[in-house]
Amino acid sequence: MYDSNPTPPPVPPTLPPGQGPNSSSGSRPLGDDPNDRETINGPIAAIESILRHPRRVLYQLRQPGAGHVIVALFLIAIVCSLIYGFVVGTFSMGTQLWAAPVKIAAGLVVSAVICLPSLYIFSCLSGTQARLIEVIGMIAGLLALMTVLLIGFAPVAWVFSQSTESLAAMGALHLTFWCIATYFGIRFLSEGFAHLSGKPAGLRVWVTIFLLVMVQMSTALRPIVGKADTLLPVEKKFFLKHWFEQLDKA
Amino acid sequence: MRATGLSFSAEVPGLLRGSVVEGRAAIESFDARRWWFYVAIILGGAGLFGAAVGSWRDPLQALYTALKLPLIILLTSLGNGLLNAMLAPLLGINLNLRQSLLAVLMSFTIAAVILGAFSPLLYFLIWNTPALATGASTNTGAHSLVLLCETAIIAFAGIAANVRLLQLLHELAGSASAARKVLFAWLAGNLLLGSQLAWIMRPFVGSPGLPVQFLRANPFEGSFYEAIFRAFKHLFFP
Repeated sequence: MYDSNPTPPPVPPTLPPGQGPNSSSGSRPLGDDPNDRETINGPIAAIESILRHPRRVLYQLRQPGAGHVIVALFLIAIVCSLIYGFVVGTFSMGTQLWAAPVKIAAGLVVSAVICLPSLYIFSCLSGTQARLIEVIGMIAGLLALMTVLLIGFAPVAWVFSQSTESLAAMGALHLTFWCIATYFGIRFLSEGFAHLSGKPAGLRVWVTIFLLVMVQMSTALRPIVGKADTLLPVEKKFFLKHWFEQLDKA
Repeated sequence: MRATGLSFSAEVPGLLRGSVVEGRAAIESFDARRWWFYVAIILGGAGLFGAAVGSWRDPLQALYTALKLPLIILLTSLGNGLLNAMLAPLLGINLNLRQSLLAVLMSFTIAAVILGAFSPLLYFLIWNTPALATGASTNTGAHSLVLLCETAIIAFAGIAANVRLLQLLHELAGSASAARKVLFAWLAGNLLLGSQLAWIMRPFVGSPGLPVQFLRANPFEGSFYEAIFRAFKHLFFP
């Protein structure tokens, strides 16, 4: 599965124009800008980089020793999802104060692990030069960016958690925040693949699968926002059925 | 904008005129006094407008609303500060937390100046309107007029402030598209949080049937959007 050459190619492939959040540098090869080559030391620098200089993260993922960047990104994702989960738990309080953070963090990581092999296969089938470590790094970046953005939404979510008793309304609000955060995460992933000789043909399919896995994970780990007698559900349910049932109760 | 020249007469006209060069200089340099200056203007301008709004019900309500209106503005800016700072670079403008917060504060400062400037007019209008507490049915038209004027002033202040913010963002981004995206994202976030904070901090005008209070007995009960949803449901599906 691994590329036989552990070091990245000396000259990264060029990026098609108009890709990525920073259009000014979007068409330039990774590493062309001195900003791209700055090292990322620790989680704080990784947060700064993934928000302001996503190209720096993508460049570092292609360098030897990208492991520490990936670890930092995963740490960010876990810590931020735990914090956001705590805010989610404040709606129901009690057990949910620790259960919601654990479920959200675990659900995100497990969803990523489940979807990782298919992303790697899609990227190989479409002829991109991505190594497995880069694909792992891009998924870690996706999760980190998503969860960092969720932290930005946390004050708003907390205010509403304290104001409403409507489970459906809170569920819809968290889902909206999750959709926005996921949009930016997917955009980061998409930009990452654009630097690897073009996006995999199946990237859209994979994104759809990833989204479905995450929403189904939220149903499989329910309750996350509300309360229940058991920590995990006793009945298996498809997420759409679960959502419609919640809307009917509202 | 020089750090030594912070005065109302020197700063505010520039803000209102939307001098993007001065705005950019203010965003790119750090001057703690400028922050306090903007906060003071928000407290003063929005406070005066709040006092005029609350004066319709009772002098004590005027004091409460004068305190609450600026508080909502400042809490909205702070509550969304982190989110706004994250969204700006993602949407194409490389602003940090301090810069994005200052840009939002600048915009609210412009709105507060406009609100403050219109507050004597509003107060005069309310002074000429039958007291809210009388509750006579013949006063309904006058009350509607006052509410309409308040809404129009707030809308005007909001639009003017956001036009100026858009110009500043355009200058910072160098791209109209990125400026529009960032402005829209900031507006959406501020609207979401600001409206809920306003709901929590109700009342502002004060209902004649209820006592004058800083906050209602159940400030965290329900949300602004649930109230809108219920009103909509009541109106169309009675």
